[in-house]
Amino acid sequence: MKATSVCLPLFATLALSVAVARAEAGQLPRGVAPSKAQLYTSDDSGRWKCLDGSKTIPFSAVNDDYCDCKDGSDEPGTSACGTGYFHCTNVGHIGSDIKSSRVNDGVCDPECCDGSDEYDGQIYCPNICEEVGAKAKEEQKRVRVIQEQGSRLRKQYIEHGKSVKSKMQEEIAQLKGKTEQLLKDTNDARDKLNEASEEVEKYYEGTKKERAAARWTQLAPLIKEQTRRLKFALYTKKKLFKTLKQLKDNYNKNYHDLAVKSAVAGFDDYLETLDKDTDADPPAASVEEGTADDTEISADDQFDKVTQDTNIVLREIGSLFELLAGMAEDYNIEYNDEAVLAAVTVTKDVERNWDQIGLEFKDDTELVVPEEESDETPEEKALKEASDKAQSDLNDAMAEEERVKDRIEDLTRKLETDLGSDETFAQLLDQCFDYKDIEYTYSVCLFGDANQRSQTTTFLGKFSTWVGDNYDTQLYSGGTKCWNGPDRSVKLVMSCGTENKILSVSEPEKCEYLFKLQTPAVCPILPDDDIEKEAAAPEKKGNTKNHDEL
Amino acid sequence: MDSARGLTPSSPARPSRSNRSSRTILRSVLALGLVLACASTASAVKREDFKTCAQSGFCARNRAYADIAKEAPDWVSPFQLTPASVRLRNGIFTADLINTHESTNPSPRPPLALELHLLDNDAVRVRINERDAILPRYDGVQETVLVKPYGFASDVTYELSTDTASGTTTIQYGSQNQNTVKIGSAPFKIEFLVNGVSTVLLNDEGLLRFETLRRKEEEQKQSDDDSDDSDDSKLVDQDSEGESSEIVIEKSELEKKLEENLWEERFKEFTDSKPRGPESFGMDITFSGINHVYGIPEHATSLSLKATRGPDAPYSEPYRLYNLDVFEYEANNPMALYGSVPFMLGHSKNSTAAVFWMNAAETWIDVEKSAEDKSSGLLSWIKGKKTLSTPTTKTHWISESGVLDLFVFLGPTQRDIFRQYSSLVGTTVLPQSFAIAYHQCRWNYNTQQDVAETDAGFDEHDIPYDVLWLDIEHTNGKRYFTWDEPKFPNPTDMQQSLASRGRKMVTIVDPHIKMDSSFYVSKEGGELDVYIKNKDGKSSFDGWCWPGNSQWIDFYNPKARDWWASQFSYDRYQGSTKSLFTWNDMNEPSVFNGPEITIPKDTIHYGDVEHRNVHNLYGTMFHSATAQGLTQRNETQQRPFVLSRAFYAGTQRYGAIWTGDNMATWEHLEYASPMLLTIGLAGIPFSGADVGGFFGNPDAELLTRWYQAGVYYPFFRAHAHVDSKRREPWLFGEPYTTQIREAVRTRYAYLPFWYTLFYETSVDGTPIIRPMFTEFPEDEAVFAMDDQYMVGNALLVKPVSKPGVTRSTVYFAGSEKWFDIKDYSVEQGPGFKEVASPADKIPVYQRAGTILPKRERPRRSSKAMENDPFTLVIALDSEGKATGRIYLDDGETFSYEHGDFILREFEATGGVLSSRDARPASKEVAKVSDFVQRIAALRIERLVFVGSKVALKKVSVGGQELPVECVLAPNGGGHVCTVKEPRVTIGEDFELLFE
Repeated sequence: MKATSVCLPLFATLALSVAVARAEAGQLPRGVAPSKAQLYTSDDSGRWKCLDGSKTIPFSAVNDDYCDCKDGSDEPGTSACGTGYFHCTNVGHIGSDIKSSRVNDGVCDPECCDGSDEYDGQIYCPNICEEVGAKAKEEQKRVRVIQEQGSRLRKQYIEHGKSVKSKMQEEIAQLKGKTEQLLKDTNDARDKLNEASEEVEKYYEGTKKERAAARWTQLAPLIKEQTRRLKFALYTKKKLFKTLKQLKDNYNKNYHDLAVKSAVAGFDDYLETLDKDTDADPPAASVEEGTADDTEISADDQFDKVTQDTNIVLREIGSLFELLAGMAEDYNIEYNDEAVLAAVTVTKDVERNWDQIGLEFKDDTELVVPEEESDETPEEKALKEASDKAQSDLNDAMAEEERVKDRIEDLTRKLETDLGSDETFAQLLDQCFDYKDIEYTYSVCLFGDANQRSQTTTFLGKFSTWVGDNYDTQLYSGGTKCWNGPDRSVKLVMSCGTENKILSVSEPEKCEYLFKLQTPAVCPILPDDDIEKEAAAPEKKGNTKNHDEL
Repeated sequence: MDSARGLTPSSPARPSRSNRSSRTILRSVLALGLVLACASTASAVKREDFKTCAQSGFCARNRAYADIAKEAPDWVSPFQLTPASVRLRNGIFTADLINTHESTNPSPRPPLALELHLLDNDAVRVRINERDAILPRYDGVQETVLVKPYGFASDVTYELSTDTASGTTTIQYGSQNQNTVKIGSAPFKIEFLVNGVSTVLLNDEGLLRFETLRRKEEEQKQSDDDSDDSDDSKLVDQDSEGESSEIVIEKSELEKKLEENLWEERFKEFTDSKPRGPESFGMDITFSGINHVYGIPEHATSLSLKATRGPDAPYSEPYRLYNLDVFEYEANNPMALYGSVPFMLGHSKNSTAAVFWMNAAETWIDVEKSAEDKSSGLLSWIKGKKTLSTPTTKTHWISESGVLDLFVFLGPTQRDIFRQYSSLVGTTVLPQSFAIAYHQCRWNYNTQQDVAETDAGFDEHDIPYDVLWLDIEHTNGKRYFTWDEPKFPNPTDMQQSLASRGRKMVTIVDPHIKMDSSFYVSKEGGELDVYIKNKDGKSSFDGWCWPGNSQWIDFYNPKARDWWASQFSYDRYQGSTKSLFTWNDMNEPSVFNGPEITIPKDTIHYGDVEHRNVHNLYGTMFHSATAQGLTQRNETQQRPFVLSRAFYAGTQRYGAIWTGDNMATWEHLEYASPMLLTIGLAGIPFSGADVGGFFGNPDAELLTRWYQAGVYYPFFRAHAHVDSKRREPWLFGEPYTTQIREAVRTRYAYLPFWYTLFYETSVDGTPIIRPMFTEFPEDEAVFAMDDQYMVGNALLVKPVSKPGVTRSTVYFAGSEKWFDIKDYSVEQGPGFKEVASPADKIPVYQRAGTILPKRERPRRSSKAMENDPFTLVIALDSEGKATGRIYLDDGETFSYEHGDFILREFEATGGVLSSRDARPASKEVAKVSDFVQRIAALRIERLVFVGSKVALKKVSVGGQELPVECVLAPNGGGHVCTVKEPRVTIGEDFELLFE
């Protein structure tokens, strides 16, 4: 048995740890907080009971670097159990409890500024408590100042909130009283306009036919031009349709050319929508230009109709052309599929022609409909003016009615909004804050919308609810849907500060944003006497005015 | 993943009346058309992105050949050895092999050369190549896959006998003279016997087929001739009397298939130009008397390979080996995945054998179980009753190009096979010790702040972890080796902060290089001309991957490898520190706009090698160059850590792999076990599956169960897709945080055991996690079992892979006891038993007869455990015996190669627990470092004896009595006795008495 001789280094280690334990005998065992001192005393027979009462061990087994107790309470000063806490005295700073799994793990834990957690010699952790303590005190002071200021501001918010709420209620009552009169005003104005219009109508009735004819003459060239466009468009569409039809019927299915297949598939989809929506094809009759003799329809209406039809056909051309153009770009040349080659030729023709049509369409813009020409009589002028006046009065009356209605709605919404237990957030209602990062500017209007802007604006969500019970976290949801992800949403987390501003914006998960907002609205409310002295000071910075526009 | 999926369909803009030109209308209207087009293609499913055998010309041809053989009543292989050509010298047998079907041609094709090498590790190598090919066939795989020029076995002794009547040559060889090779000449076939028992047969089914290289012009001329002369379309058929008679028959559909897609192939919009024409080959390999075959990863299938041919075959497609990036891969499907190892092991109660089909081109493997299996399986239970046919597994191997180069390993035990195979392709390189602890990954940790918060989250919730990973978003526009500076302004500080708590970082580096002349890597790569070339062999290939237009480095170019390795030096890779390691992804390679999402086969590598020849090895070449870079960057060399997604035989020499982009489903959790077991059997034990599942969102229960399983993956990493919800272990709240913490801590407690297993596999190639049949090779009940497995020889693990489960049925193999590792409750084998598996644990048992070293103190990282004392858990068997080992070294450098390590063997027997030095004699002389000396002096703080029938009364060491405390195991069945502070160290010899 040679164990005794080789065990020497081990005994040295053991002896060391025992010595360490002894050095503190009579005092507190290592890692025990002073407040727990009475828990670490041996009984008369030199024994000690685990704090969970599960076992009794010799007191010498406390901190012997071996875990005896289930709850780990026998090793407050070592990592043997790893489940309890080690108390760092941190003289010069405040003491702290760190997990005993951090004892002698080769890391200088910042929480243990005195370095007492690393005592086995593998690493030296200097005592930096004085420095840390000083910094902490400064930090404490800074926080205290912020909290005091924040508290004052918040109290103002609360006051504001309460007064604003009653003001809003008063205003609603007042506005509601007005609504009946406003409705009456509108109706009166409408009656007057009707009378005036009838007068005008009467006057016009006599000259109707001549006017219509004149208008037809005036618009005839425009209608003609627009009709030519429509015809050309229809011709092009038919050509594209026929080309796709032939492609569909004749292409070689064995080649599995994805570009061709997707063009055909797109065409099938198109045919399906045609079946469902037969109106998509404008009736051929409408291609007729129409004339002044046509009393059924006015020249203006005819022009609008042809223009509208043209646009419909253009849109279809777009769909069909895109199918062919997409194929022409990606198809496999090596297959030499004649049907495909034919379609490609047509596609290129159409594209070339289209540019030429651009010329045919002359000024390359939509045709502008001129004002009606007329020689106005004084009577006609007076009647028209009366009618215009009546129209403008009606507009004003309706606008006022609308304004009052909107205001009532807005006030009602605000009154129904949960502005916190003490109406603190009335101050922030509809206030907007921006945050610029590298790529985007983020914005949120409290209780309103959140957005992300660069060249374009992306809607991130609308206020939906408070999260938790503390009135410090809001959820904005229902934003624009993310590709392959959820609807965008924002979690707004608030912390105490003397001014309102967004501190950071991040996207911890795709399309789920986290805004951190600093605001007095969540500062703790300190008792008044605490800040009396401060209040007496003339400092007014950060104070916000009351927002009477609420 | 597919970049096209990123398009957000724009809503159609309506032309307004006043301000749109007709041209603008056309444009806005085009957008409408685009929506239409998108809608029609968005439903494209990934299965269609990948070929079936029928869509792969050479697979279809060789499978058709097999069909012809099966349909012909008396099929005989047309291949014969030319008797006059047979030679055997210095352990190498050579002969000419001719195809008698073709010899009637006016210009007979040159014969094939057969070589058979008897190797000094008792394995046999079989090679078939063209003797006088018009162009050399690619034969370079051996240069990168084999670890050394394998011995030509000149010192192997063998006996040769030839039976001229039957034309059979018999060679007897092997270290115990246990192996017999019988080579039949007409028809050609090879039979391997171990101790007289037929085990592996080559070309027994007569499926050998070899497309010799030819010129396209001749081919066309000949086919013209064929149409003139109808005689050539006759087949020689043998009638029942054995007389050869010519019957004129029309070419059947199958025969026509033999001539399809020879010179060019199309798949979807892609064309493979095949400049060398057809050059595939195939051969059948029969595992005689063996009903279960395993291996040929990577497929999301069961451990015991299912049949792909024959009546009732569960699969209709062959297993495919072609490294591919498969988006949202399916479980229970033989489709190809990210890695390929053409190694197959067959095992039965009586024999074990394996083959390694050394080819890196696209390969397909059909598996067919003999029809008699069902009855014979039952009948064979009846002792002494000889069944008419033994269960047999027939496999058919088909490769697109190269030479037939096959290794046959005959054991006789599985351990022998692992040793034989790994002596050729290498063993797992010993990883740094942190690499086997827990890894935290996500696509992506977005900013330096995010990293700091995640790191702090682990400490706050007291969950240990070692490595934080950064996915592609950490780079500046997917330019690897760069940082997105606004988000990661100070990567060095970030890594040092992690390192101060013993932690590491891993960043991703992929093989595609963004085409951008202002990016130094891209620019230098261009100047050095190190990119893979287009089929013209001149211009560099470019394609799409994460950075957009990219080029792929040709790691077959030695200059490229060295240049690549140099990129990892600290002055090149700005912002890297020695605690930064590497992740190689997308190295199949993944090319978003390529055929089957990979690079075209006709692209060209260094030395004018077509990509098709080396496809399955590309990822490994990349992996190897990266590992070389990490090794070289330090003056005192540190072991590298590189994770790769693609792999091939030999990958184990460079680092770890994982099973790629799995999904957050219970099914994928379940399939992770057979996949990892299979990959481990094939020589790559350092592997894992993404804990939690990559795609999708696991619920709290699935995530917790996955952590509990992942603790027992050799590579243990959690990972998540960018579109998934955050799922750091504490985010689901209690009780899940505690359950996950307990699971991860269990991994850390057993790290000494895991590290020892890594050492052992680095020596002999034995898998780390093992199928039940590896540890219990004679118990037929476990041959197909893959829902439970062994860690080393000691821990039995049964992951829970169903929701809402609180009880699990576990098979306890052998006749010894098993001890629950949490409370030491006892189960007795053999047989199935239902045991508790409540939410906070999965069934894990220590096997009686083993001693496991542990470190039980919870710590925040493995580094923080470096000086912690040990616990030994001694699980005594029915004879009061147990053994175990521990391996320790500095965990970082290569000094272990010079013997600077501790290897102890513990043994409990006859009431004595002893520890002795178990280092191989060759390692003993080396100097031991201070570090190792310090580790050697760490004490064993606790001994736990389980399985003792009576409570231990007295334990002593060196005459000094030690305190011992015994309690009864919770479910009876024995005592659990704990010895506090046995006053011995981990590195010393001792004898401790217990009674």
